Amino acid sequence: MGADSVSGEGGGDPAAAGAGGGGGPVTVHVRCSNGSKFSVQAALGSTVGAFKALVAERSEVPAEQQRLIYKGRILKDDQTLESYGLESDHTIHLVRGSAPSSSSSVQAGTDVGASRTSNDTQGTGSNLDSNEGGGLGGARLGASLFPGLGVNGLGGNGTSGLFGAGFPEFEQVQQQLTQNPSMMREIMNLPAMQNLMNNPDLMRNLILTNPHMREIIDRNPDVAHILNDPGTLRQTLEAARNPELMREMMRNTDRAMSNIESSPEGFNMLRRMYETFQEPFLNATAMAGETGTNTGSNPFAALLGNQGAARNSDRSANPSTTGSETIGSPAPNTNPLPNPWGATGTSVDSFFIFFSHLGVNLDLTGGGTQNNTPRSPTAGDARLTGLGGLGGLPDLEQMVGGMPDSSLLNQVMQNPAMSQIMQSLLSNPQYMNQVLGLNPQMRSLLESNTQLREMMQNPEFLRQLTSPEMLQQLLAFQQSLMSLGRQQQSQDQNQTGGGAGAVNNMGLEMLMNMFGGLGAGGLTVPNTPDVPPEELYATQLSQLQEMGFFDTQENIRALRATAGNVHAAVERLLGNPGQ
Amino acid sequence: MTLGGSGSGVVVPRNFRLLEELERGEKGIGDGSVSYGMDDGDDIYMRSWTGTIIGPHNSVHEGRICQLKLFCDKDYPEKPPSVRFHSRINMTCVSHETGVIEPAKFGILANWQREYTMEDILTQLRKEMAAPHNRKLVQPPEGTFF
Repeated sequence: MGADSVSGEGGGDPAAAGAGGGGGPVTVHVRCSNGSKFSVQAALGSTVGAFKALVAERSEVPAEQQRLIYKGRILKDDQTLESYGLESDHTIHLVRGSAPSSSSSVQAGTDVGASRTSNDTQGTGSNLDSNEGGGLGGARLGASLFPGLGVNGLGGNGTSGLFGAGFPEFEQVQQQLTQNPSMMREIMNLPAMQNLMNNPDLMRNLILTNPHMREIIDRNPDVAHILNDPGTLRQTLEAARNPELMREMMRNTDRAMSNIESSPEGFNMLRRMYETFQEPFLNATAMAGETGTNTGSNPFAALLGNQGAARNSDRSANPSTTGSETIGSPAPNTNPLPNPWGATGTSVDSFFIFFSHLGVNLDLTGGGTQNNTPRSPTAGDARLTGLGGLGGLPDLEQMVGGMPDSSLLNQVMQNPAMSQIMQSLLSNPQYMNQVLGLNPQMRSLLESNTQLREMMQNPEFLRQLTSPEMLQQLLAFQQSLMSLGRQQQSQDQNQTGGGAGAVNNMGLEMLMNMFGGLGAGGLTVPNTPDVPPEELYATQLSQLQEMGFFDTQENIRALRATAGNVHAAVERLLGNPGQ
Repeated sequence: MTLGGSGSGVVVPRNFRLLEELERGEKGIGDGSVSYGMDDGDDIYMRSWTGTIIGPHNSVHEGRICQLKLFCDKDYPEKPPSVRFHSRINMTCVSHETGVIEPAKFGILANWQREYTMEDILTQLRKEMAAPHNRKLVQPPEGTFF
């Protein structure tokens, strides 16, 4: 009954709207997205732009950031209020337009990823595309240098190769850093970082902890020389610090490479070089690196008839190695050697660059590979967490994750240079906050828990946290947590990924992530997802759909076989199943 | 309580029901996270509606405004309106070609009851956008439309 009377009253509205209000000022309610409400006197004949100015006086939102919504429509500045049928006592919703916030920058990152993906899909044989890729790769190199703590003649995914752990957080950090060159520069310029970079012994140590790497070095003195030459490393660092330089370098290389390639014997020469140098490297890095190998984007693949997802399917056929990825253990490589022409493991830019920098830039191979790998949203979840990401710890994690055993880990932890660098990173509250801000999940956690926030911003606490004794204790603690976590079968957890994502219990996960930065990566257990594939591969599925593959079941099958790699899945779907 | 009223045995006729919703939309009643109104004030059948959803926090949609089109055919509210996104969006229950929400994949449309309103649809959609399987999906650039 009440309803009737209300609607009866409302019945006048459309008619009145049609008649249109006069010119006199009326009261309009404005409702903000945070729930607050206020009223403004405005003439219905005035424009929305003028109205926004009025609203700006009453709210803290400047006119250019205001977005007004009335009756489901976004009001345009040049229209009048009247034209939207606004009347006295009606309510307009006010939303603050997307200010350049950290969350939107993360968003942007994903978008970049997406557009890249589509680029790659178009079958990039052209030099243009590879240039572009090179540019991106360059930025990544900069990023990748950092996580490796300057070990990085071989940075990038090379790092994860070197140290054996394909950390999911790593890419996230990379992405963040890539988007924030100034932060990158800052880090690079930290004295501690430079010290470390200039300390060839430490770096050699780190490199030699990877058995595959050592093998290569033993076999090839030239490479060893490059790896051990602090000058080269510094050079790479310089390039990383200056993205323009990097891009320029890559462009030149790409140009030169394409020239060589077009000469009659050039291609074969390239191939020989590739086989001599890059393959063993690749093998070492890919062996320990993440599952995600990029199939679609290698121009050589396009040239030579794609071998498709050979490696991918190899890997997915053997999930235990996929997930655990032997984390720096000296187990022999049982995987077949990657076919360099089969699109596995490498992408254009990295391939080209390799030759110009022979080894120094090898990291790009890995970096590129990883960059192009589409991620499942769940893996993303895992990446986002991690207090490890808080204070410049991810690099440590990255490094430490691959350490074959905890005694070695302890050694690193106790290395004065290490603790020095950690401290300088952690004691910089600005950087700290930046990292915090970039991590949405963390942000929400902190927002809901002011105590924690205070804690994290207290340099004293952080210093304590980084003392070697504390680190050891935490490590032990984490180990026990790990075993706890292992017992819990998770439902919504990430797929392979590793990291610290194997636990269902949110609190426990948080805890573990907090200590994840302290490096028990080597202990992580691969987690077989029992999530329905539709959910697990939701992103990839929708991507495939957009590409015009409508058979969901078929898509799922392809994605399954390729461990969620869209490129590889497309290859499969196109009737070119990886041999 | 104020809407529908079939609980009390009174069946609110279509027009009254829509007028009521129209007023709620104009007055901005509700939690303010969604907004809706009629496309064409002259359409006496009140079929064509526009809705907006303010992107939920802690999702990729945060800071975005999604626009939707709702079409209440003459059998509304016995049957659910057809709903489609105008702004491009990547969600599991939304067709990638047309932006139409597939009723089978979206609970409130699949199990429609006549007490449900367009506001309910919009708020449910907003929840869906923040659901774990949607909130991280890569989204098309803002300002593109189906």
